[in-house]
Amino acid sequence: MIPPGRQHLRELPDRHCLAAGTPLCAGCGGLAALQAVCDLLGEKTVIVNAAGCLTLLAAYPSTPFRGSWLYTAMASAPAGAQGVRDGLDILLDKGAIGTEENLEVLVLAGDGSSGGMGLSATSAAIDRGLDFLYLCYDNEGYGNTGQQASAATPRGARTATSRGPQGHPGAKKDLFAIWAAHRPRYVATVTAAEPLDLARKIETARNLSGPRLLLALAPCPTGWGYEPAEGVAIGRLAVQTGLWPLKEYVDGRVQHSKIPQPRLPVRDYFASQGRFAHLLRPENEQLLAALQDETDRYWQEVEEHA
Amino acid sequence: MYRIRFHGRGGQGLKRAGRILGTALFRAGLEVQDAPRYGAERRGAPIFAYVRASRSPIHERGVISCPDLLIIADPHLLAMPDSGVLAGATTRTVVLLHTGEPVSLWRERLDLPGPLLILPRLPGEEERFRGAVCAGGAAALLTELDEGLLARAISEELAHLSAELIMTSLGLARAAHAALAGERGIVRQEEPISAAGYKTPAWLTLACEEAAVSAPAIHAAATSELSQTGLWRGKRPVIDPGRCRGCWWLCATFCPERVIAVDANRRPRIDYGHCKGCLICLRQCPHHAISAVPEEEAAREEKA
Ligand SMILES: Cc1ncc(C[n+]2csc(CCOP(=O)(O)OP(=O)(O)O)c2C)c(N)n1
Ligand code: SF4
Ligand SMILES: [Mg+2]
Repeated sequence: MIPPGRQHLRELPDRHCLAAGTPLCAGCGGLAALQAVCDLLGEKTVIVNAAGCLTLLAAYPSTPFRGSWLYTAMASAPAGAQGVRDGLDILLDKGAIGTEENLEVLVLAGDGSSGGMGLSATSAAIDRGLDFLYLCYDNEGYGNTGQQASAATPRGARTATSRGPQGHPGAKKDLFAIWAAHRPRYVATVTAAEPLDLARKIETARNLSGPRLLLALAPCPTGWGYEPAEGVAIGRLAVQTGLWPLKEYVDGRVQHSKIPQPRLPVRDYFASQGRFAHLLRPENEQLLAALQDETDRYWQEVEEHA
Repeated sequence: MYRIRFHGRGGQGLKRAGRILGTALFRAGLEVQDAPRYGAERRGAPIFAYVRASRSPIHERGVISCPDLLIIADPHLLAMPDSGVLAGATTRTVVLLHTGEPVSLWRERLDLPGPLLILPRLPGEEERFRGAVCAGGAAALLTELDEGLLARAISEELAHLSAELIMTSLGLARAAHAALAGERGIVRQEEPISAAGYKTPAWLTLACEEAAVSAPAIHAAATSELSQTGLWRGKRPVIDPGRCRGCWWLCATFCPERVIAVDANRRPRIDYGHCKGCLICLRQCPHHAISAVPEEEAAREEKA
């Protein structure tokens, strides 16, 4: 059962866990998602991080965190999480720490490592039933190194490595489906532009144990080419156009937590960002139509299975 | 050889300014290196780009430590120690500061060993065009460049942008060029650095300490508070108390930095020491109670 969430934004925590003064871009959508997660998980969290933009958060001597942080090799965050979890379990077993001192182990990684070189370590950790929460902030590229295309870059997007007239030729890898295929405890897509949905899913995940993923669309002004002020509007557009379905996998079933109605044309989303500007040119009319088709088909299937 | 360093903040187009100047110098027949500082360029955070140009092959590599010309896109950068804006400035370094304030004020404030020039703020100049403006101003100081070479380099470097953006950039760069036309030739080429005559420093050898003593032990939490990221702001979100309905949760929830708090009267308060000026709050406030005030103007009003 999916528990009901808070009904109003004012019910969200108004005390915040992370300190200000982070070195991330003004308007970073990845930071926005992490803030919500930290606000609800609290200080008793160990973050295990793979290289990416958010690694810069904890660069000695500066850190916004009040709890612990472990930086691992880019492919190995879930393996690092296993070590931390095992260590905590041993201490608990021995009675060296009490249950009130137990910590939640949170992997924090970008789409590049989560859907690329970190996938094998992730898959193995899920196989082993590791009790951990995984937050993947998806800015759809290798943001920290200058927004090269990653496995999560959507078709048509311009990146530092996809500069052709039609943008990125590949398709966005479906990390939600890959996780769900492992039959883990919980998988959900979220975005900070939908704070109530996000809060409910964080709390659902927090109250479960086993492998759990929160996959957050993370609008990125620097990599996506838009004014930082537009970040929340763009996150919302991703949901309203149906390009970022909000859904969750619990007890072996996928449920959509929000069906966009009316569903806006994908063009509206593309028009909001420099990385898609070329899609609106007359010569890319067919590509644009194909992208709309793809989205329509997705939602048609959702309806058929409802 | 010319050694030129541009300082700005992520999003102002300073990396592009380096490319424009580099391309113009290359078209003028010089050998050129241009590169932004490698690493994570954060929107709003200090960044720099550098250009070397010479009639003979360039053997120097890496960051420019002693610039002949230093272009500072934003006076705020001077207050950020980690941005290292004035590092390596000597008596022959020409500093070009982009500000709306008078040169006398900045001469007194900075007390530099070398010449200081002001590149004035231009009418219609938005923050994102600052790169084009700085490239135009810098080009005016070099004898090798003229307006034609500058315009050609801009068209080439901005070719991926819309015609309208290119036109605006061109117009602003030309205006900046014209504003400094009287200073042509003030920046002079310096000799390349040579390894001949290099003396090894008189190193002191210190015995190693135990790791437990010499390695950092990081137990302090939330130290990022000490970083004044408020200095990143180009524009300041200002809440009009007359329009604010006190539904603080909207601006506060969406603030990605969580620097909007509610006071005892249930009114939102922005922590300007840390707000980076993303202006998401402005876009989310349904009552349009937040406006964006250019930082220099806001700071002036504060002082007045
Ligand atoms: C094994 C390895 N390869 C490459 C790098 C360089 N690197 C650092 S961050 C990064 C990008 C990571 O992308 P993503 O996981 O999407 O995070 P983002 O930067 O977008 O936040 C890369 C390639 C690295 N640190 N380790
Ligand atoms: S590049 Fe994008 S993801 Fe990285 S810190 Fe900046 S806004 Fe965030
Ligand atoms: Mg990424």
